[in-house]
Amino acid sequence: MTNSNQTLYEKYGGFPGVRQVVTDFYERALDNDIVGHFFENVNMARLVDHQTRMIAGLLGGPVEVSETRLADAHAHLNVEHHHFDEIAALLNETLIDAGFERPDRVAAVAAVEARRSIIVKRSRAA
Amino acid sequence: MNIDAISMRMLSNIGVGVALADPEDLRIHYSNPAFADWFSIEEGTSLESVLGNVERGDLLNELAERDAIKLDVAVKRKRRLLTIETVIRHAESDGRKILLVECQNISRLRETEAMIDSYARIAERKARELEREKAQVEKLLLNVMPRSVYEEYKTFGTVTPKLYEPVSVLMLDFVGFTQMAAAADPTVTVTELNDIFTGFDRIAEMHGCERIKTIGDAYLAVAGLPTPNPDHADAVAQCAAKMIRYLERRNETHPHQWRARIGLASGAVVGSVVGVQKYVFDVFGPAVNLASRLQCLSKPMEVTATADFGEVGIEGFVAGNSRSVDIRGFGPTDVVKLQLEGAIELAA
Repeated sequence: MTNSNQTLYEKYGGFPGVRQVVTDFYERALDNDIVGHFFENVNMARLVDHQTRMIAGLLGGPVEVSETRLADAHAHLNVEHHHFDEIAALLNETLIDAGFERPDRVAAVAAVEARRSIIVKRSRAA
Repeated sequence: MNIDAISMRMLSNIGVGVALADPEDLRIHYSNPAFADWFSIEEGTSLESVLGNVERGDLLNELAERDAIKLDVAVKRKRRLLTIETVIRHAESDGRKILLVECQNISRLRETEAMIDSYARIAERKARELEREKAQVEKLLLNVMPRSVYEEYKTFGTVTPKLYEPVSVLMLDFVGFTQMAAAADPTVTVTELNDIFTGFDRIAEMHGCERIKTIGDAYLAVAGLPTPNPDHADAVAQCAAKMIRYLERRNETHPHQWRARIGLASGAVVGSVVGVQKYVFDVFGPAVNLASRLQCLSKPMEVTATADFGEVGIEGFVAGNSRSVDIRGFGPTDVVKLQLEGAIELAA
């Protein structure tokens, strides 16, 4: 039985656990033909930093990624809904391989989903 | 299988890239599969062309001067930029000079380093936040207990009641505070009370007195605690004089007149932190009770103290009206009145 106050970050081993998730997710994202181009030619240290903070933050780790910062980082990328869906799917696959239980994966993916409107570019028709 | 065959098989299967090149024209004569996978190798490919931004002349010069050179080469594989750590060193094979090139893919190492840097920044930031919070908590606790008591509490999680002797106690309250609070806007009255107590805190600190607590409009301070002070009686007497003078001056320019009565007594007190969830450092003992009774004997803007305080000379203050008073719990006690010089003239 898990402590109800425990974050997913703590439950899955703190930084050592997150490190594996970030490494795996980084590989998958770069290899992916739908979203890989977003990560091409991005400074590796910056990308790793962003992904570490983002994933640790999503799992309730000791990071708060502000919405403004998130919006700024994605503003010029023209991320569309199908890109966002792919990223959410990649994260889910990563978490399956990292041994996350289903309800925990659902919670983590829901946390990503909550940021969809900040990351996906605004529709021009709107 | 002979040794050469084993060596060749190993070279073909290891994750390290290995190549042999001519030291004169830098042509690559042999490369193992790992090397060939990272750098596109064809017949006659030269070493400088796989190293990226390296001039042939510079490379030859460096090789002439050193036994080995080491450099990181960036190689793009699909969308990833790999970092290949490359070491080129001089070697000999069957009397023939060759260049031995060894390459390792250190991309993962670099990524891990970046991740650790990222996490270190997160952890350092968190540590700074915690440090700030800790300082805030410490500041709050130092408001309710002396530093030495706080240190004891921090180390042991509890505070042992301690007898402090001798100390002097100052007890002050205001005349007609209840009526004042009822007559005027209570928030204004309390704001003024807060200003005055803040002023008293400064005066107490200046004279080495420790404010123990306030109860409504009453103010309790002690000298000689937690650090012993042989001049404890002088300290509270000076403190009392300054408080009266401070109020005199304040009353000249404020519509609300604040008039205090003060009692001073010396003796022993026990000091300790009281409470588990809501801590407060408090003092108990005969000196506290006596100061409280003497304060009740004072007229407005007057200090009543035990007779020994008459010996303490305070500039601008005079001791007078020595008498013996029967005090509940203490019996007949010699007391003295301390008053501002001007106030005595007016009374006379």
